[in-house]
Amino acid sequence: MTAIWTAIVGHPLFVLGLTLLAYQLALELYQRSRWLLAQPVLVATLLLVGALWTCGIGYPRYRQESSMLWLLLGPATVALAVPLQQNLPRIRQLFWPVSIALLVGGTVTVVLTLGLAALLGADRQMLMSLAPKSVTSPIAITLAEQMGGIPALTAVFVMITGVLGAVLGPLLLDRAGVTSPAARGLSLGLSAHAIGTAQALQEDHEAGGFAALAMSLAGAATAILLPMLMGI
Amino acid sequence: MSVRGLLLLLVFQLAGTALSLWLLPALPGAILGMLLALAWLGIDGRGSEALRQSAGTLLRYLPLLLVPPAVGIMVQWQRIAADFWAIAAALVLSLLVAIPLTGALMQWLVRRQLGQGEQS
Repeated sequence: MTAIWTAIVGHPLFVLGLTLLAYQLALELYQRSRWLLAQPVLVATLLLVGALWTCGIGYPRYRQESSMLWLLLGPATVALAVPLQQNLPRIRQLFWPVSIALLVGGTVTVVLTLGLAALLGADRQMLMSLAPKSVTSPIAITLAEQMGGIPALTAVFVMITGVLGAVLGPLLLDRAGVTSPAARGLSLGLSAHAIGTAQALQEDHEAGGFAALAMSLAGAATAILLPMLMGI
Repeated sequence: MSVRGLLLLLVFQLAGTALSLWLLPALPGAILGMLLALAWLGIDGRGSEALRQSAGTLLRYLPLLLVPPAVGIMVQWQRIAADFWAIAAALVLSLLVAIPLTGALMQWLVRRQLGQGEQS
């Protein structure tokens, strides 16, 4: 019995199967509960870390045997061009408001994030992992890797930011007296990427559209501007 | 998902990587690949429809693709514990400021533009 178990756990596909299982369980939990905090990526990650630890599989082996999924992250980033192109027409009527709000909001986010973290003693590697945290995950992970951050930390920071932004965002916008759906959506998409966009879509159709536009545009703009600024 | 669409995604990714190594080392290959794909869709290049379909399929599985990078957290606990307050402050406070600020700014700019439109 032990020999069979060892053979199964040692199989190169075991890790991939475990990843799919954890994701499937997390997906079902999210679909049943519809609970914002139960983001599938977050829950699947926790389940998987527990399972790997129980099976005695270390991170180096996991990293190596899940490389197929890692490889697809590149083409998935390229695929973001499609939603970006679909949302682009929305910007035409409100070109200056959208551009100015995204540029100011995005800059404030990055400057505050880096400033606060540096003030409280984070080193350069940690700062580079934090900098892209408001951007959609595939872009953020790619950027962190490029700028010398730790992609694993960025992946988790992006998820936490998305959940926090989607939960707190609507309350903060109410407090600030922001009632326009375009403004609410734009702010949620910029700060809380896909999770914020889902939240905006629940509020209002127009808010959802602007959130998707903000997420795509801010993702592309950050991807171009951030590495150049950090390189200086 | 068609082979043609998937092939285009890979071609743009690889072309982006080549461009990154050749001209723009600051930008990751996948990001340049995304910009190339955007330009291709903009001019409605060959296979645009297949590209759209494959991109849609791949993006449906995006959350699954994000799990392996996030699992790396299992070897990063100490980094998080060491910088806990810096991380918490950066994540929470930047949101508390940026969300209302961006929303209020956008609302003000939109109303200003609409107001000007009525006057002229």
